[in-house]
Amino acid sequence: MAVDTDRDGRGAILSVRSLNVDFTLRGARHRVLRDVSLDVRRGENLAIVGESGSGKSVFCKSLMGLLDANGRVESGEILYEGADLATLTEKEWLKIRGKEIAIVMQDPMTSLNPLIPIGRQITEALRLHRGLKGKAAREAAMGYLRDVGIAQPELRFKQYPHEFSGGMRQRAVIAIAIACRPKILICDEPTTAIDVTIQAQILDLLLSLQQKYQLTTIYITHDLGVVARVADRVAVMYAGDFVEIGTTEEIFYDPRHPYVWALLSSMPQLAKKGENLYSIEGSPPDLSSPLAGDAFAPRNRYALKIDFVRRPPLFSLTETHQARSWLLDPRAPKHERPETKGGGAG
Amino acid sequence: MLLRLMPLEGYFNNYEKLTPTQIKVGLAKLWLDRPMAVQLGHFWQDTLRGELGVSNKYRVNYPIGKIIASKAPLSIQIGLMAVTLAFLLGMPLGILMARSARGHSRLKIWDRFGTVVVVVIQAVPASVYYLFIQIYGTELLGKFFPLPTLFARDNPLTWILPVFSLSLSTMAWSAMWIRRYMADESTKDYVLLARAKGVPAAAISRRHIFRNAFVPLVQSVPTTILLTLMGSLYVESRFSIPGMGGLLVDVIKRQDNTMVQALVLVYSGISIVGLLLGDVAMALLDPRVRFAGKGDAR
Ligand SMILES: Nc1ncnc2c1ncn2[C@@H]1O[C@H](COP(=O)(O)OP(=O)(O)OP(=O)(O)O)[C@@H](O)[C@H]1O
Ligand SMILES: [Mg+2]
Repeated sequence: MAVDTDRDGRGAILSVRSLNVDFTLRGARHRVLRDVSLDVRRGENLAIVGESGSGKSVFCKSLMGLLDANGRVESGEILYEGADLATLTEKEWLKIRGKEIAIVMQDPMTSLNPLIPIGRQITEALRLHRGLKGKAAREAAMGYLRDVGIAQPELRFKQYPHEFSGGMRQRAVIAIAIACRPKILICDEPTTAIDVTIQAQILDLLLSLQQKYQLTTIYITHDLGVVARVADRVAVMYAGDFVEIGTTEEIFYDPRHPYVWALLSSMPQLAKKGENLYSIEGSPPDLSSPLAGDAFAPRNRYALKIDFVRRPPLFSLTETHQARSWLLDPRAPKHERPETKGGGAG
Repeated sequence: MLLRLMPLEGYFNNYEKLTPTQIKVGLAKLWLDRPMAVQLGHFWQDTLRGELGVSNKYRVNYPIGKIIASKAPLSIQIGLMAVTLAFLLGMPLGILMARSARGHSRLKIWDRFGTVVVVVIQAVPASVYYLFIQIYGTELLGKFFPLPTLFARDNPLTWILPVFSLSLSTMAWSAMWIRRYMADESTKDYVLLARAKGVPAAAISRRHIFRNAFVPLVQSVPTTILLTLMGSLYVESRFSIPGMGGLLVDVIKRQDNTMVQALVLVYSGISIVGLLLGDVAMALLDPRVRFAGKGDAR
């Protein structure tokens, strides 16, 4: 497949092709990512949404070669700058991690080493990837602390994580992430564990850094409010596969996959006043046995017979909008789409 | 204090042959005829002056302080060597185990091997493997140089086996705990973040995991050292080392009350110092503890 180019002429910086990831748990194999394909475009803010356990974190970890020891990429390609990351050795990964692709994790309370001063946790990366030492590394690190909005960087540089508040720690984690000038920044639920009053500040910070350093950012989130605030494009994941991909407007105002309908109507921010909040019935599929057809079919009110038998192909609706549902097949019977358009968001 | 309730014989060398007046004088010398409170006050005064009194059976009327001073240095030397050796062997073993436990199945054999070593050392009674080490160790080393079975202070070769024997249980202990704590630490988020920064696995083990795993251990390190110093009982008697090891048991058996009292005092003092040192070491390593105490360091 040719590398996509979107309307602005920005090509894909990262292309995931038919990626399968398995985990072995007590001898049993679980396919956690099933034949996943996705293009990440240079300079965009992409959001990946989906319920808990759908495989969002596993997807991102596989982009950094950070899968747990019992997990591995079975097949597929992760194309980045002409190389297939899926085939890298541990040694080769060391040149990618932090330098090309960096990550901000969910919980700033646990993602910093409690015994090492903040400054040294930043310079550790600088030394590895940019060869900066001593004073030069110090200066650079303090620059990044300033960049992420930490006042008095000289003082903060020497302090330990426990002397930072939650929001400050997340800023420090972001400083570590951008310190080596990565091209891609993955934010795995960057605000979930943070005080609501600070969440917006962190998101604004990430957006401004994205501009300043021309980052390509991938956000993982449950929170459609976050999506509306930061994302250019949204990819919706269900049971280890992307079921719908489109621009933020397309996903919010013209969703096509029944799972996305259900997801949108279950969000309190988007529900109309006075209406009952919708919750998706049933539970996500068991990944230990192979899935036939559309993984969402058993929970899908609109499921067709074929949904239980064959996996739907990816139907292209516009240049930017694709969905994986048999309902989009010309032969599918007419169906009523539920009302999902939200007022405030988008 | 409980010692006071023991039969009075313990305070004399030849109780049966003494007349009641002689006993009275003897007791008065030790202030034992006064009320309890006075006795206690006197005891504290002496202790604070470092005065441990005199022995009355082990070596009659010889100052206890001197007895200890003549035996302690050797025990301390051997103990410290043993502890050093224990950590030199135990830490790398534990680290190796922790790292291989996380790695590929090919490496896991190291973890298995280490576990077997640790379990064997802990399961087999110390006196048994001491005996084995003494017999086979002497034979083995004897192939290279002439080696007497028993300890001789001025022959450095004879130090090897006792020190090694004494270090084994501490080695197993430290290997086991460092492995466990490192395994715990390696699943933490900050380790994942360090990997995400591109830090090589060996540096992560050293800089991040090991230091954090060492914190809960370090608190008990001084106590362990002191326990090794005191626990050299078997080893010292096995190799006939004239150290402190057998002293306490010896004087208890012979009902040398003043000696028992002095030794118990010394040992409890040592334990308290050990606990204190443990806390100090912990505070040195872990900034969270350090700052909690001082409020703010900078
Ligand atoms: N080390 C592992 N061993 C076995 N299964 C795993 C492992 N890591 C993840 N999984 C499984 O992979 C699936 C996806 O997990 P993942 O963490 O990617 O979910 P997620 O979408 O990020 O969820 P959340 O929103 O809760 O973070 C889950 O079913 C999980 O049980
Ligand atoms: Mg997750």
